[in-house]
Amino acid sequence: MSALDPIELQVIVGALRAACEEMGAALVRSAHSVNIKERRDASTALFDKNGQMVMQAEHIPVHLGSMPAAVAAVLDQDHRPGVSWVLNDPFEGGTHLPDITVVTPVFAHTPEGAQRADAHARMGHPFVDDILPLPNDPPGALIGFAASRAHHADVGGTVPGSMPADSRTLAEEGVVIPPRELTGETIEELVRQMRQPNERRADLKAQLAANRIGAQRLVKLAQRTSGEQLEAAMDEVLDYAERRTRACIGALGEGVREAEDVLEAPAGDLTLRLKATVEEERLVLDFTGSADQHEGNLNCPLAVTRSACWFAVRVLTDPDIPSSAGAYRPVEVIVPEGSLLNARAGAAVAAGNVESSSRVADLVLKAFGCALGQGTMNNLTLGNDAFTYYETLGGGQGACADADGPSGVHVAMSNTLNTPIEALERELPLRVSKYALRRGSGGAGEHRGGEGVVRELEALTDMTFSLIAERRRHAPPGAHGGHPGSPGCDTLIASNGHARGLPAKVTGTLRSGERLRIETPGGGGYGSPPEHFESPNDSGDGS
Amino acid sequence: MLLGVDVGGTFTDAVLVAEDGRSYSAKAPSTPGAQHEGVMAAVKAVLERAGAEAREIGRFAHGMTVATNALLEGKGAKTALIATGGFTDIVELGRQTRPSLYRLCEEGPQPLVPPERRFGASERTGPEGPLEPLDEEATATLLEHLASTEPEAVAVALLHSYAHPANERRIGELLAKRLPQLHVSLSHELVGTFREYERTATTEVDAALSPLLGTYLNQLGAQATAAGLPAVQVMQSSGGLTDSGHAGTHAALTVLSGPAGGVGGALLLSAEADEADVLCFDMGGTSCDVCLIDGGRVAETAQRAVAGRPLALPALDIHTVGAGGGSIAWRDPGGALRVGPESAGADPGPACYGRGGQRATVTDANMVLGRLLADAPLGGTPTGTLFGAHPQGHKQAGGVRLDRDAAERAVGVLADELGLQRTACAEGIVRVAETEMRRALAVMTVERGIDPRRFALMPFGGAGPLHAASIAMELGIGKVLCPRACGVLSALGLAAAAPRRDTARTVMLSGAALTGERVQRELDALVERVVGELDVPVERIDARYELRYEGQSFELSVEAEIDEAEIDDLRQAFEDAHEQRYGYRDENAGVELVSIRVSALGTRPALALDGAAHESPQTESTQVVFDGQSTQAELWRGELAPGTRLQGPALCSMPESTLLVPPGWEGTVDEHGTVVLEHFA
Repeated sequence: MSALDPIELQVIVGALRAACEEMGAALVRSAHSVNIKERRDASTALFDKNGQMVMQAEHIPVHLGSMPAAVAAVLDQDHRPGVSWVLNDPFEGGTHLPDITVVTPVFAHTPEGAQRADAHARMGHPFVDDILPLPNDPPGALIGFAASRAHHADVGGTVPGSMPADSRTLAEEGVVIPPRELTGETIEELVRQMRQPNERRADLKAQLAANRIGAQRLVKLAQRTSGEQLEAAMDEVLDYAERRTRACIGALGEGVREAEDVLEAPAGDLTLRLKATVEEERLVLDFTGSADQHEGNLNCPLAVTRSACWFAVRVLTDPDIPSSAGAYRPVEVIVPEGSLLNARAGAAVAAGNVESSSRVADLVLKAFGCALGQGTMNNLTLGNDAFTYYETLGGGQGACADADGPSGVHVAMSNTLNTPIEALERELPLRVSKYALRRGSGGAGEHRGGEGVVRELEALTDMTFSLIAERRRHAPPGAHGGHPGSPGCDTLIASNGHARGLPAKVTGTLRSGERLRIETPGGGGYGSPPEHFESPNDSGDGS
Repeated sequence: MLLGVDVGGTFTDAVLVAEDGRSYSAKAPSTPGAQHEGVMAAVKAVLERAGAEAREIGRFAHGMTVATNALLEGKGAKTALIATGGFTDIVELGRQTRPSLYRLCEEGPQPLVPPERRFGASERTGPEGPLEPLDEEATATLLEHLASTEPEAVAVALLHSYAHPANERRIGELLAKRLPQLHVSLSHELVGTFREYERTATTEVDAALSPLLGTYLNQLGAQATAAGLPAVQVMQSSGGLTDSGHAGTHAALTVLSGPAGGVGGALLLSAEADEADVLCFDMGGTSCDVCLIDGGRVAETAQRAVAGRPLALPALDIHTVGAGGGSIAWRDPGGALRVGPESAGADPGPACYGRGGQRATVTDANMVLGRLLADAPLGGTPTGTLFGAHPQGHKQAGGVRLDRDAAERAVGVLADELGLQRTACAEGIVRVAETEMRRALAVMTVERGIDPRRFALMPFGGAGPLHAASIAMELGIGKVLCPRACGVLSALGLAAAAPRRDTARTVMLSGAALTGERVQRELDALVERVVGELDVPVERIDARYELRYEGQSFELSVEAEIDEAEIDDLRQAFEDAHEQRYGYRDENAGVELVSIRVSALGTRPALALDGAAHESPQTESTQVVFDGQSTQAELWRGELAPGTRLQGPALCSMPESTLLVPPGWEGTVDEHGTVVLEHFA
């Protein structure tokens, strides 16, 4: 039984969760870019002093297991109060370049400092600042870290939006930031190399503000008990999550399960293989035998592969378990170095984070008998000298043993909002010609897979487009007799109506009057379909 | 005399306020399915109680849950939808997010209109105006197809109609000609602001619910007239009243009618207590509603969601969490003590109700700790006077004594599972529940950049005052206001409410287009419209401006006087609000005026509540557990007279609820009978 009683445990879990949520609220609210504010492509987390993640606010799963890598990358630095760290290097704590992480060490307050802060508060100082270490305070002991990660709309590189469909090296994808101190000068130096520097600056400051709130909450928790008690409490929170995850893994049933799937690289399919072993309440996910890293940008740094695995584990276990390092202790991820899923430094990774990660999650879910969803985010970047616009599109979810798969949603590592047509058409030289469910695209089954989406955009001026998608050649499979969903399909329609099919990964020019039609995949069905079922119309949306 | 009648889940409350300030209340069992029967029963009871006649009533204000319940159950009239061709699935696509990150097959709210009754109009309008005209011939064919599906109501929502409503309006005319018996909701008329999914979904809800609400209000109106009562005024989600004709054809305006009455009551009582900054929480059996009174006003929002559906219409900003007295405590598989979200509800209710509940709830924990007495009331007496001489002692709900043994058994079972002592377990249940409520209060304050410490905490509901002092400590709040007799708060709020009409329009003005003159012109048009619609003399016009920095996709709402729509003032007000909420301002960024919202308010009735108790009861003594120690506490039963002083630890078993005064708190009763607690330790 635990050192901490069941009451204190839940009170601390609640307080840590609330702290991460407050961080997230501060970040989303004070950021400037649409990506963070409207699409909530951001995450916040608190760590103990050893760099173990004790709680994460779950805005978007793709950041799940990759936040700890960021803190690990700066853990051994000489930490001082008020000095935060910034990084985005996928091979040193990051995922892909647009995801910039800011890590702030948190120091316990000295009693004098706490008193002074309290006095300040009584004099009516804004509460947001009242428990920050005052400049002349002797620093207390390091008690943990606050971290925030946000997807910045542009971090430089060869194309606006920093998501080139055809990059071959990391440098083409934008500014690489190895872990470094985040000072005012660093901010200026970094944003100068990016498009829309004012927005980037504001978003980085929003991340600092979020961390400040997390730090305050952690200090307050430490004050209420004591530094040592907080440490013990955090340990217990981790053990608690581990106990619950172990019990759920045990319930999956011991044994070895295997799965295989592919990624659709421009040069041909890349095979991924998984051997999943459940033994004594532990889960080993071994990707040995998967394709080697390739010339393109489907490569994953190990942090991304881990994230995707942990997402799938959360789906297979109990999402009520707090998201912390403890929850992942019983899960081991094995990937040989140089694999596509554990690429070496310098490899291009733009599509790894958004696309390969979905396939990694798919593999784990497939091994455990799940029907799969669209398995792609359908990343579309449009832009020219005057604007950059990035959107991702939902599709069909795989059906479950007891329910149909939802239609037109983000299915795995993403859960970002769409941009309202009425906002998009006001702000950008684009017109939406169609936005509808792609009826008939969901796989048949006892429970049907969800439907994909059709979205057609017309350019009102010349622009470049960059599309990174998957499941164009291979359909999302069903399970237990369920049919696969329809694969996705992309078309460029000239002003004269002439249509031309596009590959899954493509960068090109969209002239004024031309339209881009994206049809996203349907989800796989679950269980054999009813007998008189008519085969779905795989040709499109029926319009 | 002013009459307010509020329909709750269990009881329908009626409050009658006489000219001399005396108030009377009565309760009748709610009658789901035919709410008007319970309403008329409560009215009859309160008239008898007051010895008054129906003809003496000057106004009949009503808060109800007809629209809310229909929405929660996904029931509505058979509805059709007309949208721009190619975009009829917008109601189903929503914002493309899934409601649960990891429960992959959990569905969001399904559209109220199925695909076979969604029709694509042959037209296209862009942000600057029409791109393709409405094809009249195709529309005539569309209406024939629509008619063949035999709908009872139609929602029309075309792209960009918030700015260019001509096509939507024309379809409305053609519908009125071809299918005159149908209810029609037009998105530009009802909502008027941009973001197509939110506007369409709101219009769909309006169309689907209006026939139902109209029928209900007609039935109630007929009975009220027969009984000699004045016409029914209906509470809207905005906190203002409207006539039943308007409500019956605009049901989406009333989806949060019930909670809005409660906020009205809270405003009335906080004004009476002379407090402008009050954080209110209303803790009932299954849920806890939180709202913020800041500078004497309750914030409004047009971004509420009910049952996962967005409602882009003015509503009071209330945050609800599923934590109440009936929340069940349990041990999770990792060994932590959890409370809720499952609730024992009203039936069977907590174990101590003795109606078969076996699992420990927050109410049971309070009982084990000596914080609830066996004869404590459960949400009010069946009938009684609200204000004025209150009979000493009171009946408990249903005449049932609470069963302390049952509470101890239930908590004991959980304590054994957790390996804790029974009282430690009970204290734990209360602490964990309070942690959840603290989170709900933080959402309304800390997460928005508002320092909770400058607010007084005002608890309502049967369970609120038991937890108020402890939650106040968590938030750094040093003052708690516990108003007398808060069990019929909503009905009281209804009696005191003002008539109101709202309108809004997205104008999207920035740069050189954003001039005082232009804003004034837009404003004048909106004011003309609401003033024309409000059928009583206008007392006040409120204008709210929704602004953002260019490039942002969230707006902040600021208020300004209508005859001072000076652009610099507007920018200043926006930047102040932005700094407060988001922590910074951006002097270099352009400001965009996104939408203007205008409300016209009629006169709020003068309502002087009178009659606190004259003499406090004798104190007794009781044992209450604090920090694991059974402590002797003062016990007050019944209403407290002004001037009474309380010293924690104390327990006040009041007519509508129980107030706990922990050690370190002391209190006085003010002239209105409100207990004012302050923390001194």
